[in-house]
Amino acid sequence: MTFNPLEQRGIPLDRQLRSWRELNVDPIDPDHCDPYTRCRIITMNGIEVEAILFSHQLARHTPDPEIKRQLARVRYIEAQQQKVVNWLLPGVSSVLETTIAYEQVAVDLTAWVARMEPDPYLKQAYQFGVLEDFDHLYRYANLYEMIEHRKAESIVDNLTEVMPGRPTRFHHRDPVDNVRDPYAKDETNPLSKLHALTIMSAEQQTMNFYMNTGPTYMEPIARQLYQEIGLIEEEHVTHYESLVDPGETWWEQLVNHEYNECYLYYSFMEQESDPKVKAIWELHLNMELEHLHAACDLMRRHDGRDPASVLAPELPDVLTFEPNKGYLRELLDTQMDLTTLGAGYVREAHERFERMQEQIHGGEAPPSDRVMTEHDEMFGREYRVQTEGEHPDPAQREK
Amino acid sequence: MSELRTPHAGDDMAEDDDVVALLMRQHGDIRNLFDEVEAATGEERRDAFRRLVRLLAVHETAEEEVVHPFARKGFPGGEQVVKDRLAEEKAAKETLAALDELDTDDPTFMPQLLKLRRDVQEHARAEERYEFTHIRRSADVTGLAAMAKAIKAAEAMAPTRPHPGVESGAKNMALGPVAALMDRTKDTVRKAMGKG
Repeated sequence: MTFNPLEQRGIPLDRQLRSWRELNVDPIDPDHCDPYTRCRIITMNGIEVEAILFSHQLARHTPDPEIKRQLARVRYIEAQQQKVVNWLLPGVSSVLETTIAYEQVAVDLTAWVARMEPDPYLKQAYQFGVLEDFDHLYRYANLYEMIEHRKAESIVDNLTEVMPGRPTRFHHRDPVDNVRDPYAKDETNPLSKLHALTIMSAEQQTMNFYMNTGPTYMEPIARQLYQEIGLIEEEHVTHYESLVDPGETWWEQLVNHEYNECYLYYSFMEQESDPKVKAIWELHLNMELEHLHAACDLMRRHDGRDPASVLAPELPDVLTFEPNKGYLRELLDTQMDLTTLGAGYVREAHERFERMQEQIHGGEAPPSDRVMTEHDEMFGREYRVQTEGEHPDPAQREK
Repeated sequence: MSELRTPHAGDDMAEDDDVVALLMRQHGDIRNLFDEVEAATGEERRDAFRRLVRLLAVHETAEEEVVHPFARKGFPGGEQVVKDRLAEEKAAKETLAALDELDTDDPTFMPQLLKLRRDVQEHARAEERYEFTHIRRSADVTGLAAMAKAIKAAEAMAPTRPHPGVESGAKNMALGPVAALMDRTKDTVRKAMGKG
């Protein structure tokens, strides 16, 4: 059965407000949960955070007080949704533990989107980015073993491999080379719009998370690693947000946001293994359907256009969290040495890239390299999870 | 799980000049042992559980002898913070003692172990957030190192790794019941702290 959010009604907006008792959700058990349940929670938190921030920006650009009030009503409900979703994460998890889960999201979400993306230019943008998240996972996993004596596989549970990707020190590019070309809103596949919005939101939340939690660490190497990777998240948000066509009107963007939320809650409801979490996805889907209808009304009224003209005729195949090991190994084999030049990709280290590298590293090893040295001094080895054999790139095999 | 083993705190090559870093690693070691007990069956589970009990006993006793006394006097509000931690430790010790009476194959073992695991994990994070942060802020480098030394002394007297060759059963039994182990840990720590 196909699910068309435009044809479904949900819970009326005036019945969506939840009391403290309803907001007080039971968190997941960090030692026994399905790792992909945690990934879905982190993803939906990023999506809700983007929904809230986008609505605030829209309100700041809206002179009409009646529209401001309507946006405020829906946004308050979205703020409650964000609280429920993110509060599913347990208080006993450390920041580093949650960080490793964020990187598992970045790897398996971006890899899945890259696999499914119909537009070759957009696909390349995801393939390029995922190899960097993959390397971040590896660096944080080594830091985790140093500080907490825990192995990242206790979090990612062998669903995601942990080994070098494109080395983090090479992620620092001249900022102008992070800007991509946008898709064309009237020609692109509607699925591509959803993909871009999803990955942009996830990376934006990762950026927010590292910029705020990084300084809570006392260990110098941890503080420095969060600073370094936090700056790469800035690059990633630039990279992904520039894929979105800036010619979409505010109302069209609002409709895309709400539609994407329906798509993702529906997708996660379909695959959720934890019944309590599944019930939340279902409830939120039923709330989002009404948010979508309200957004569609605004678009009809202010743009004089039918929202169906910019959306997919039916909901695309569900977005799925699943292992992407083979796909990632293929990319590791073929795209490790890429960098960006303008809005494209090259294999050689060009002048602008070299200049940025010289300036930011200042002739020293960056934190992402030093974390490996310090880990080696402590354990005499690296930490990796290579369930499918040796690293595809011989230069990246453990010495 | 991969074949990589994370050595216990004190057995890696860290400098161990900071009691907080050492104890945080030990919290991870304890969590790893819970994983091991859960994953194992039969004799292996019995053995992993003995090691867990020993590590918990040594770890908690050493904390009570070394870091709590410092925290109590070391920063404003320390008295209350330690009181809360001791209450958590007492509850955990009671569950531990009850578990210690059970055979690891007993059908009620696993639910109780999971409860202990939750309590221990909450206690460990509370220590890290409400006690250790203040210790790092208020102790000087020498103090952090001296406390680390005392913790390591406790570790050394009650080895928490299986001994190659002597398969755990007999050797572990020789360490005696939990209470006696805690007493001996106390003595060792006091000696290392120069309070003999």
